[in-house]
Amino acid sequence: MRLGTVIGRVTLNITVPALRGARWLLVSPFTRGHFQRGTQAPAGLSKDPTLVVYDSLGAGLGDTIGFIEGREAAMPFSVPTPIDAINGAIVDNVFYTPKS
Amino acid sequence: MMLARVEGNLTATCKHPSFNGWRFLICQPVDLADHPEGNPVVAIDPIGAGLHERVILSTDGSAARLAVNDPISPARIMVMGIADEPNPPEVP
Repeated sequence: MRLGTVIGRVTLNITVPALRGARWLLVSPFTRGHFQRGTQAPAGLSKDPTLVVYDSLGAGLGDTIGFIEGREAAMPFSVPTPIDAINGAIVDNVFYTPKS
Repeated sequence: MMLARVEGNLTATCKHPSFNGWRFLICQPVDLADHPEGNPVVAIDPIGAGLHERVILSTDGSAARLAVNDPISPARIMVMGIADEPNPPEVP
């Protein structure tokens, strides 16, 4: 799982049947130098590319979420679904103290 | 499997049901000389690794799905073990 902050949302009008009615978040992932401490995400975007994450938990703008990438993102679906990033947790508080 | 150093943890109330009751640890992948490699990842932790300890992470989902006992869980990265320090700090 990786952490990122929600910076927007995406709506699709034509999709494959498995993705109809899905909710998509635009997420800027955190990097080592741009990481949240406490309850507020750091201002601005990180250097990593922004990605679109499938969301079923209802994260809003400005929330910090933990998203899972890869094959495991498509596990919670009964029908085969072509997604590779899913929102696994909406983060409340981050306690991050990197070792210098 | 990845060698990583635990650098924090996080709390999340609203999450996938299979994560209920699991600890989330922020782990920074490191090389053998203890230099950080890449960005921190968040792992679920069944064994209670402490802060700044070196841990072994499994990045395969099948092991994590067995641990959370949910065949459709999106769990992926999990702490498998705590690595011993090559030169532990001196105890005064």
